[in-house]
Amino acid sequence: MKPARCLILACGNTLRGDDGIGPFLAEWAEERFASQPEVQVICRQQWSPELAEDIARAQFVLFIDCSIDTAPGSVALTPVIAAASAAGLATHHLGAAELIALSRDLYHCWPPESLLLTVGAGAIELGEFFSDAVRGALPQARRLIEESVLDYLSSYMNPPR
Amino acid sequence: MSQTITIDPVTRLEGHGKITIQLNGQGEVEDAHFHVTQVRGFERFSQGRPFYEMPSLMARICGICPVSHLIASAKACEAIMSVRIPHTASQLRRMLNLAQMVQSHALSFFHLSSPDLLLGMESDPKLRHIFGVAAARPELGRAGIGLRRFGQHIIELLGNKRIHPGWVVAGGVTEPLALAKRDEILAMLPEAYANVGLALAAYKQIADTFGQEISVFANFPTNYLGLINEDESIEFTDGLLRLIDAKGATIEDGINANRFTEVIGEAVENYSYTKFVYYKPLGYPEGSYRVGPLARLNIVKSMGTPKADVELAEFKQLAAGPVESSFFYHHARLIEALYGIELIERILTDPLILDKQVRATAGVNRLDGAGQIEAPRGTLSHHYKVDEDGKITWANLVVATGHNNNAMNRGVLQAARSYVRDGKFTEGALNRVEAVIRTFDPCLSCSTHAYGQMPLVMTIVNADGVVTDQVIR
Repeated sequence: MKPARCLILACGNTLRGDDGIGPFLAEWAEERFASQPEVQVICRQQWSPELAEDIARAQFVLFIDCSIDTAPGSVALTPVIAAASAAGLATHHLGAAELIALSRDLYHCWPPESLLLTVGAGAIELGEFFSDAVRGALPQARRLIEESVLDYLSSYMNPPR
Repeated sequence: MSQTITIDPVTRLEGHGKITIQLNGQGEVEDAHFHVTQVRGFERFSQGRPFYEMPSLMARICGICPVSHLIASAKACEAIMSVRIPHTASQLRRMLNLAQMVQSHALSFFHLSSPDLLLGMESDPKLRHIFGVAAARPELGRAGIGLRRFGQHIIELLGNKRIHPGWVVAGGVTEPLALAKRDEILAMLPEAYANVGLALAAYKQIADTFGQEISVFANFPTNYLGLINEDESIEFTDGLLRLIDAKGATIEDGINANRFTEVIGEAVENYSYTKFVYYKPLGYPEGSYRVGPLARLNIVKSMGTPKADVELAEFKQLAAGPVESSFFYHHARLIEALYGIELIERILTDPLILDKQVRATAGVNRLDGAGQIEAPRGTLSHHYKVDEDGKITWANLVVATGHNNNAMNRGVLQAARSYVRDGKFTEGALNRVEAVIRTFDPCLSCSTHAYGQMPLVMTIVNADGVVTDQVIR
């Protein structure tokens, strides 16, 4: 059987408080799915265009990031739809939708399913500590990651007839 | 009535800066400046730290060229230790430096400048970015990503991290190269050659269509500075500095790291936090010069690798003496990327490349030490002083952007005078003034990032504070 190529793609800065939630959850996911070669975890401080190639090779991508637009500690899991950057100014950092669009345009290939998991940030000042709100959100975030990946793996192992 | 045009921020650069253009009462460009608006305190806050911490501390200055700072810093520390590092360590560092040069040049050409070059200076700014390139020329977009990954992956294989690897230390490197990693890099070479070949072909196809830009993109005689080997071939990691004049004649040769501060000075202008570097015997600003890919190719007689030498010979046909227009930084950058891949291949076949002796150790044997290398953007110097316990008492860094500062400012003025007429400008004119700066690929400080989107606004404000014209994107 070919590898399922489930990609978990996290980003964040571990020195900026709650912004480090992406790397933290990526580390947890790496351990949780260590025995499953179908699952690959990549963590970067920023998502850059080079990741488009990894995304193009994947069948399912779970993006993980912190959000400053949502309530502190709120966890959201939303589908990602390809969308090119409107401004096009940020060559050092791209969002999930932009990366999917870049995979589509460059490699004519993109994952049939992609999800974005965000955790609302409470504090992103300098420091290696999570706010109470984000600490409280960790169990839910882990559960959603686990369910999303296992759902995908299950559908891959048992495709609908 | 005088007016000032402000471009803030200048886009598709490493770091954040702005451009102001001053118009006189007749709407003619009177002056123009490139302002670096960030301040960086590395020299100050490193004081008191043990000297052996400096390489990993200094690497944090930049996310694009941390390797340059790592190596220049390690060399300065080795001068303090008075040690000569093992041959294998030197070769491995050289490879790391070349890998970084390749990835940085790929970033500059494909990500930052190819939207202008491939889609056109006047193309729709809403599409003039990497997504536009991906849609119009996907094969080049893939080549750019491939070339950047090539460099980044080598850095990751050698240093165990793609950004801020801690593998380079004072005295050498922390661990030798494993056979499996060597073979993995060798396997990546064919694709890297193909990608840089594609970029060179694409550049040559379009370069002739930029005649107007070539004529006004910092197209003037200057001096040039860069490292060179004894056989007059290009050098990035060792070698000695040579300064040539606008006609190509050597002004001074054989400048080692210890003599750097003796001959190189730094001037200050009140409109920028970046200093203006110059050659002391000629004074400021007469002693200003350019560094980086264009300067290096103007200085050397050969690249020292077969494929890049063919390209250098073609490059040298562009002018009887030094190639003057900064537009040709793009061309020089691609030739250097090709050279980097060839030299990486050569280093990997060094019979001692897997040797285990990769680090020399020593304590403080001198209270002063300096190191110099070529970063992707040009010459980089680190100079430290320590006390008897090895704690830093003084540090000074002279970076490529400082060396090029005078030429960048003159280039902005030259382009502004060509494209701003009667106090009016188009979006394409704005983009061309920015594009002059992009040719130099300055690194203003990648360690400082703004959050969120950066709208670009260029505004003409008259002496009464009234906005008379504005372009927003």
